[in-house]
Amino acid sequence: MVPPGDAPAPVVPAVDGRRLGQAEQHDTLAARNTRLTPGDLLTLRVRRSQVTAGGDAYQEFRVPYHKWMRLLDALNWIAENAAPDLAFRWFCGSKMCGTCAVRMNGREVLACWEAVEPSMIVEPLRNLPVIRDLVVDRTRYEEKVASLEPWIERPKPYAGFPEPLTHRQMKNASQALDCISCMCCYSACPVIGLGNLTDFAGPAPLVQLGQTALDPRNNHEKVRRSIELTGIFNCVSCYKCEEVCPAHIPIVTGVIEPLKAKAAQLAPEMAGHSFALRDIVARRGRLDPGELVLRVQGLRGLRNLGRIWRLLARRKINPIKTFLGIKTSAAGAAARLLGDGVGKP
Amino acid sequence: MKFAYYPGCSARSTCAELNEATHLVAKRLGLDLVQLESATCTGARELRAIDPAGFYALNVRILALAESHGLPLMTICNTCTLNVLDAHAAFVSDPELAKSVNARLAGENLRYSGRTKISHFLWVLHEEIGEQRLRQLVVNPLAGLSVAAFYGCHITRPPAHYGFVDSRNNRALERLAEILGCRPIDYSGRTECCGFHTAAHDERVAIKLTGKQVLAAKAGGATTMVTPCPLCHTVLDSFQPEMEKDIEQKLEMPILHLPQLVGLALGLSPEQLRIDRHMVPAGVLDRYAAAASTLPK
Repeated sequence: MVPPGDAPAPVVPAVDGRRLGQAEQHDTLAARNTRLTPGDLLTLRVRRSQVTAGGDAYQEFRVPYHKWMRLLDALNWIAENAAPDLAFRWFCGSKMCGTCAVRMNGREVLACWEAVEPSMIVEPLRNLPVIRDLVVDRTRYEEKVASLEPWIERPKPYAGFPEPLTHRQMKNASQALDCISCMCCYSACPVIGLGNLTDFAGPAPLVQLGQTALDPRNNHEKVRRSIELTGIFNCVSCYKCEEVCPAHIPIVTGVIEPLKAKAAQLAPEMAGHSFALRDIVARRGRLDPGELVLRVQGLRGLRNLGRIWRLLARRKINPIKTFLGIKTSAAGAAARLLGDGVGKP
Repeated sequence: MKFAYYPGCSARSTCAELNEATHLVAKRLGLDLVQLESATCTGARELRAIDPAGFYALNVRILALAESHGLPLMTICNTCTLNVLDAHAAFVSDPELAKSVNARLAGENLRYSGRTKISHFLWVLHEEIGEQRLRQLVVNPLAGLSVAAFYGCHITRPPAHYGFVDSRNNRALERLAEILGCRPIDYSGRTECCGFHTAAHDERVAIKLTGKQVLAAKAGGATTMVTPCPLCHTVLDSFQPEMEKDIEQKLEMPILHLPQLVGLALGLSPEQLRIDRHMVPAGVLDRYAAAASTLPK
């Protein structure tokens, strides 16, 4: 209540446009931890393998809530009271072993760390074959990681302790070392979800690689060899991996981008797209999408005549500007800031 | 309300209609936009990886330009928004970086002190104009228009900037659609990725990622989609014939830029908003065109 004489509250309440929906969807840790009262019945619909003769299906369970209940507690209750044959993995129960990841209501979570919700659909991780119920086969991931040789090969003999390393040099590698290999990011990645369409290794193997490839003591030749196997420039930068990472690793900005920088330095042919974009901006100030496509795809870019015609008809591309390389009003500033050749192969 | 306005590259080339529509709609909303003519590209996703120093220089320069006008910065592209947010966050947390970037900007007497407020047009609508004022400004309610929001990524992730536990809980576009009189459609693709950032070298990813989302929106009853990002628009609109071929189904889904949807409700016609520049025709909007023609200009 506003005391008399004080300024009245603004007519339009202050709104944070970035977070609209957060309150009404209970999207805070506090809200998620206080929505239920002990004794409430939770509904879990769990994806089961071969639960009926017809094949896979969702089986519904009602589980009584107790204070601070985690998804793992609910699964254990089901295994002890309703379905002793329910298959799910867990070991440490404290966010360290990385074995209990599942999808809850369409989002990758660690069962041992996730507060239960009143109603939950629980499924195995995506992008890995299901062995049974909530258990997936991690072989694909483990083989990929092994192929990337995630270890350090010193080009010079060990100089003895203490090694001359700074926090800044080790920042990204050390963030990647927080990975518990839970596969949440691998399941959330939309590019991995497209199967073999690209050669993208996926976020989890890249984080494993980052632990050693981003360590300045590593042999550059070995790092180059590893990065060449990752298809890293197929990352679409959607940040879904970062969003679900229980270890809060900045996977895109702290691992994938520094690895792309390594690729640009050690295997520049992989980063043709990035160098073309930088060059166009440095020369013309702003990006000309037509020039970028032509530079990246070459004559292949002219193959899709149907689309080129459609784009021309709506004046979405301007071949005259593209072929003459006409500069924009930002060209002067871009030349001053990027025209020094830094970052070129 | 006055803003330093950064349209980005896309709205100055392939999506020029977005820039035109933004200016028209801003006028109706009472927003005074000072377009930053000498502002460069923010470097998309590429520069930040291969040349971080160049990335910070370009983005901090944009923030410094806004600061030199003493104005908050308004953007209309998700990726540009995230780039300037990231550059600002790095600038204020790393004094060494701040010093080196300012040294690079000193040549043109620019200096950033870290004070520019960054806001996307979507947030400006909710925070600065506000629901109450918006409702007063709606002269052509879009009753009956079923709109599926396609947020894209960089306006709702990463969590470090936006704070959602689950980015799917963002409701800013649906709330806006309701204010404009539309029926927002719920569907699985709202906050999925359009794949734009790898489309220059492999457009198959973008086509595969988006076809199923547009189909889901259509199955949910959407007659049009709206996006706050010109990069998502480019994929959803320009690649739609390829998506149809890939999923072997007709989509024919008109895709609107956010300011175009707002403009229709504010009484502007589809022609004024340059919806005719889109690849997928928006016949579903004809009745709003007729309604707009009866309104006082």
